[in-house]
Amino acid sequence: MPALTRSLPAVSKHAVMIVGVLVTIFPFVWVAMMGTHTRSEIYSSPPPFYFGDNLISNYERLLEIMPFWLVLWNSLYVSVLGTIGAVFFCSMCAYGFFAYQFRGKNVIFGIMIASMMVPPVLTLIPFFLTVRFLGILDTHFALWFPGVANAFGIFLIRQYMTTSITRDLLDAAKVDGASDFRIYWSVVLPLIKPALATLAIVMFIGLWNNFLTPLIVLSTPEKYVLTLALRSVQSLANSPWGAIMLGTFLSMVPLLVAFLFFSKQMMAGLTAGAVKG
Amino acid sequence: MNKFILTCLASAAISASAASAAEIRLDGFPDFNNHLDKVIPLFAETNPDISVTYQMNNHGDHHKKLTTNLATGSGAGDIVIVDIGFIGSFIDAGGFENLSDATYGADALADGFVDYAWSQGQGADGNQYAIPIDIGPGVMYYRRDVLEAAGLEVEDVITDWDSYIAYGEKLREMDVYLIADAADVASTIIRTTVQPGEGFFFDAEGNSLITSERFVKAFETAKRIRDAGLDGQIGAWTNEWYDGFKDGSVATQLSGAWLLGHLQNWMAPDTAGKWGVSNLPDGVYGSWGGSFLAIPRQAENKEAAWAFVEYLTNNPEAQLASLRNIGAFPVLKETYADPTFDEPIEFLAGQQARRLFAEIAEQVTAVSPQKGDLIAEDVVINGALLEVLNDDKDVMAALRDAERLVMRRVR
Amino acid sequence: MTDVTSNSAAAASLSAERRARRRKRAFRKALMPWLFISPYLVLFLVFTAFPLLFSVYLSFQEWNPVTGLSGMSFVGLANYAQAITDPWLWKSLYNTVWLAIATGIPQHVIAIPIAYLLVTAFRGSFRHLYTATMFIPFITSTVAISLIFYTIYSSNNGILNQWLLGLSSVPVIGALFAWVPDAMPIRWLGSSDLLKPAIAMVVIWKYTGFNIVIYSAGFLTVSKDLYDAAKVDGCNAWQQFWHVALPMIRPFIFFALTLTIIGNLQLFEEPFILTAGDSGGVSQAGLTASYYLYLVGWEWLEMGSAAAISWILFAFIALATSVHFYFNAREGLEGHN
Repeated sequence: MPALTRSLPAVSKHAVMIVGVLVTIFPFVWVAMMGTHTRSEIYSSPPPFYFGDNLISNYERLLEIMPFWLVLWNSLYVSVLGTIGAVFFCSMCAYGFFAYQFRGKNVIFGIMIASMMVPPVLTLIPFFLTVRFLGILDTHFALWFPGVANAFGIFLIRQYMTTSITRDLLDAAKVDGASDFRIYWSVVLPLIKPALATLAIVMFIGLWNNFLTPLIVLSTPEKYVLTLALRSVQSLANSPWGAIMLGTFLSMVPLLVAFLFFSKQMMAGLTAGAVKG
Repeated sequence: MNKFILTCLASAAISASAASAAEIRLDGFPDFNNHLDKVIPLFAETNPDISVTYQMNNHGDHHKKLTTNLATGSGAGDIVIVDIGFIGSFIDAGGFENLSDATYGADALADGFVDYAWSQGQGADGNQYAIPIDIGPGVMYYRRDVLEAAGLEVEDVITDWDSYIAYGEKLREMDVYLIADAADVASTIIRTTVQPGEGFFFDAEGNSLITSERFVKAFETAKRIRDAGLDGQIGAWTNEWYDGFKDGSVATQLSGAWLLGHLQNWMAPDTAGKWGVSNLPDGVYGSWGGSFLAIPRQAENKEAAWAFVEYLTNNPEAQLASLRNIGAFPVLKETYADPTFDEPIEFLAGQQARRLFAEIAEQVTAVSPQKGDLIAEDVVINGALLEVLNDDKDVMAALRDAERLVMRRVR
Repeated sequence: MTDVTSNSAAAASLSAERRARRRKRAFRKALMPWLFISPYLVLFLVFTAFPLLFSVYLSFQEWNPVTGLSGMSFVGLANYAQAITDPWLWKSLYNTVWLAIATGIPQHVIAIPIAYLLVTAFRGSFRHLYTATMFIPFITSTVAISLIFYTIYSSNNGILNQWLLGLSSVPVIGALFAWVPDAMPIRWLGSSDLLKPAIAMVVIWKYTGFNIVIYSAGFLTVSKDLYDAAKVDGCNAWQQFWHVALPMIRPFIFFALTLTIIGNLQLFEEPFILTAGDSGGVSQAGLTASYYLYLVGWEWLEMGSAAAISWILFAFIALATSVHFYFNAREGLEGHN
């Protein structure tokens, strides 16, 4: 380990982190607390920063206002499929951009970056038209599939490849007679696991928190995903906020679990040892 | 035995599927679901062949989805709820069924409804495109205990805006705010003193009224309140707003009839008996909010949809149920004869408030919505007014700038 | 004899076959990269290209979306002409750039050292725990954020104001905060001077954790041998960070910067919720360009005009990104092979 570790006393390095943790963890804790209060308690001032005793009744109310576990399952289904798809297709495309020289490569790469710059607010109506044209309105497929090969993921993985994979490695594999797909699949993919894990985290969260696409695509309440279901019961004046906050908290838990799972994969990169020196 | 049950079930299933040939969906926003849950079974009793489902999204999301559906000509429910804020720009766009048409015959229902609400559902061509389902007659909520401590009667306060402000001066000595946000006074004046034939922001020819006397007076009155420190500068729907209701640090609130339900249910349930309602100051009449039902042209079961629209709006039982279920004030006039309207309301120290709401509803004058209202609303009420109140911009300068901005867009 | 002729015939056919095979191989070789990037191309053509073309087309039309697709009418460049003379657009672009800089720089200045510290100074569950917690703001839902920050920024009982008041009564540092009691109540979301900083704090809070994760992935690619070699050469901790680790993660800095530039210039959600959707707050101090085009398109129902604004915003983002690419792409895209 670098000298920084030893030169910094353990206490001070933890102190730095704990300051960060305090700043970042409080919404999570607070949402958890609000999930145990009634609406009147949440809207008192100052709002309660302790756990209340309405957890059970909030939970019952939550199940009353939405099929909570069903929509949670829908969210999980959409996010998992979208994440798996993205990890596979983005890495494949990124490999195409990384490993080959071909005519038009820079143009396509440029268009890809540029497509990220178009403000998404306005493409909603034509996206709806496309989805309708394809006959996939009111399906979960329309939620996860369009994003499986996205500019963000391809760019991220391409960047990772440039730091962790050498030309020599690819050439050596080619000399050994491996096919292109085989090199990508058996040589490159295992080496970029941390990047795949990073992409998986971001994709999973993006799919999980997306509500604009579900809003215009879905019309059957049984197909609703969690974000949409939680938003759909909110009104300015008369929402059961205790139940909604409990639902919000419960909806953050799978994200945290997913994060812990993938970040373990990501950090595994270090112990496996980087290939490049 | 088993076989017998199975055949019965099968035949039941067949007849059910034949009967529920008309399936309709209503798109809206909460709290309507709480009302629908209770009235859909009642509707089904008399209309067993129509099955009703609904899809709720929050207020903003619902209108965004509806915009997308109307833009692309597909995906909307058979009935849609439209908030009064959007009704003006939606009804003249051709996306809704003309309910004045003989198939529906909505015009025959006109006399039963509160005038102003009914005419707001009309397009520029005079045809009915949306039917009002609830309204929000505007009143002043006030703290009785504070008023008493100031040694005044409510009539003294609401004589005109000067007397209202004078009340505020008195309250300042008692460390009580007259109103949560002075901007409410400005928007009240703007909305309630519209000359006949004019719109809120434009006259019949589409010329701007933004620099007219009405706006100047509205802005200056609000500014006087702000400069004298009589308002709490508290935004609506925030914890501080609720606090003001709970602890009596705010003496009045101008709002719609629907606020009553929220006050007594959750905003300030412990203040029961300390509140009263009265007419708005200065003898004006106005409304806060309201919603409409419309049938999109793309709907598949228009006939069944109309049956349900009629039930929700023109059936006194359903209208009264909406008052009970979600505190939405009825728009159908015959319901006002119901004993419910004379019930003393404990939260308001026994006042027969619903009678007052009903009287006000019939006094409100219709203002026809115009193209550009949404822009003007944002630029003038949310934009210029805040600049005047919070950033000390000159009233006339702010109004002129706003007018220029609005007229650039409204061609 | 027969053997010879047959042999030469065989040789001829063999070489033809080889040529064909070689051509086939060359063709396959040329095709290979296209095969790899085909998923993106297909999805782009199906789901992205049409919406983009649609919005280009739209920017030359006047269209109230509620009137349906047939309600469009061609207005030429009028939408663009109107947009570039629109004071609110310029105000919103100014706000956008202000917020992009004020939130963009701190995100990276905080994220890079923290990621480095996480990767080099912690192991196992501590690293895990810290990274996960710092990532929490990024996964927090919008509803929770708006509720929480309203409470923090609230002027009368808000946590932030309470803290400032508390600080002003602390003996030594109190002098620094002596102005606080006079300034109370500070209206973080209700005055045009404070709105942007208030929004900026939320944005920094939310996205720094995301960058920490990206940079952690980056620092993990730096091999231990490099640090050891640097140590042998007598580098101290700071030099290891500055001369060894940082240059190695250049592609990640490049990537994260690109995302920040694009993302910050499209900033919408945080200003929108902190101004409760009220046309950008006091004096439109919180009106960003994306927020404005949302207002124009979805609230004012002028989709054509909104499309024109979105392409003007696109031009700005493209310009900023090209400047960034011009200076950094050589090293940022290629790494150091």
